[in-house]
Amino acid sequence: MTSLLISLIIAGVLLLLTFFGYYNKFIVLTQRIKNSKAQINVQLKKRSDLIPNLVNIVKGYMKHEKSLLTEVTKARTSFLNAKNFEEKVKVGSELQHSLKNLFAVAENYPEVKANQSFVELQREVSAIEDKIAYSRQYYNDSIMTYNNSIEVIPGKWFASLYHFKKENYFEIPEEEKINPVIEF
Amino acid sequence: MNRTSFYEEIRRNKIKSYFLLVIVFLVLLSLVYTISLVAGPDYFFMILIFGTIFSIFYVLISYNSSSKIVLASVKAIKAEQEQFKTYHNLVEGLCLASGLEKPKLYVMKDTQINAFASGKNPKEAIICVTTGALEKLTKQELEGVLSHELSHIANYDIRFMSLVAVLVGLISIISQIFLRSLFFGVGSSNRSEKNNVIYILIALALAIISPLIVALVQLAISRKREYLADSSAVKFVRSPTGLIGALQKIKQESKTNVRIPDAISPLFLVKPYNSKELFQTHPDINKRIELLKKM
Repeated sequence: MTSLLISLIIAGVLLLLTFFGYYNKFIVLTQRIKNSKAQINVQLKKRSDLIPNLVNIVKGYMKHEKSLLTEVTKARTSFLNAKNFEEKVKVGSELQHSLKNLFAVAENYPEVKANQSFVELQREVSAIEDKIAYSRQYYNDSIMTYNNSIEVIPGKWFASLYHFKKENYFEIPEEEKINPVIEF
Repeated sequence: MNRTSFYEEIRRNKIKSYFLLVIVFLVLLSLVYTISLVAGPDYFFMILIFGTIFSIFYVLISYNSSSKIVLASVKAIKAEQEQFKTYHNLVEGLCLASGLEKPKLYVMKDTQINAFASGKNPKEAIICVTTGALEKLTKQELEGVLSHELSHIANYDIRFMSLVAVLVGLISIISQIFLRSLFFGVGSSNRSEKNNVIYILIALALAIISPLIVALVQLAISRKREYLADSSAVKFVRSPTGLIGALQKIKQESKTNVRIPDAISPLFLVKPYNSKELFQTHPDINKRIELLKKM
């Protein structure tokens, strides 16, 4: 009789641990998605912070490229005004596009290219762009791990029990898939 | 040429290294079993406890101070953020890609291209590269190398190899104790003479052979962890090109001399000397390039 009781208790404890374990697993995984999302934000913000400096340096040399510079500044303003994550990412890629144009045109200005601070900033922007790409990749990886965990059995049952739902992957605008090559 | 995904490669190498770990366990168990047959369980139990404590103690010391020891022995210096911007930027990017914390970065003065990672967990990890690697590799190649090192950290390779070292050490300690105690005539307890001779011979053979076998298995595990780090490196950067380029450059310069001591060579990106693969901590560089090209 006691041995039956003991095995029942053990079975009960194991079952309870499984229930807790799955809940915690989902929490950890959704937390990871949140964190990686925050990382994308941090990098996007860092890039936009570099822009006033960049524009200041280039302004003097590139007098005939006013429209380019206003485009960059405008993209930055709309990034700063963006309210939610999706919007930030969207205008962020516009910002990236206009920066790419700016750097391409700067190639024609030897004085700009000789400016040490400009070279520094250009390198910084390119490093941040790599980091943005990586944090997006990690974001998508985290979503994949999470989605896998709630789609396989028995994770699926627990997920529906705790109301965890599938997350959507990050959509990358078409043109960005071609990596901008910035050579020094 | 069959293309394989890095996910598949990662999975395969993990399974293989765990399988090899099981072999080490089995060798340990059979050694334990035969010796206890010869010497009697009581006596054997004592060896086992003593051996375990000694082996764990021995490995724990090197495990806890591994980073410090290795950094001091290659005279590595801290890589300052200002001076080594690209190095820092690349590692920061890879940390974002892998979700790891940024390790402490070091540089060692050496014209050869090489790198190593150490640390018992991702929080206390370090990465060190040679000045040669920083000078000779392109940004993409350096990124491949750093990604490989970061993979060692992500896969807890230092911990895994320490566990293997404990088991291998345990086997050799048990064998030593048994071989020595034979001179004092242990085991002439309660069995018939004839049986006992056979058991003693088997135990003797096992005690001599098993340390050699597990030493070779240990090397094989180390090589599997290298392949694993290669495929995880591809997972982080999503392209094998950088690492392939770096390995090719290393291959070309590998004819030159080496100053890295044998004792710490298992940690490095590539083995710093040449000999037969069976006795190596690292797989053949050509095989690594070939596998990477398939991903």
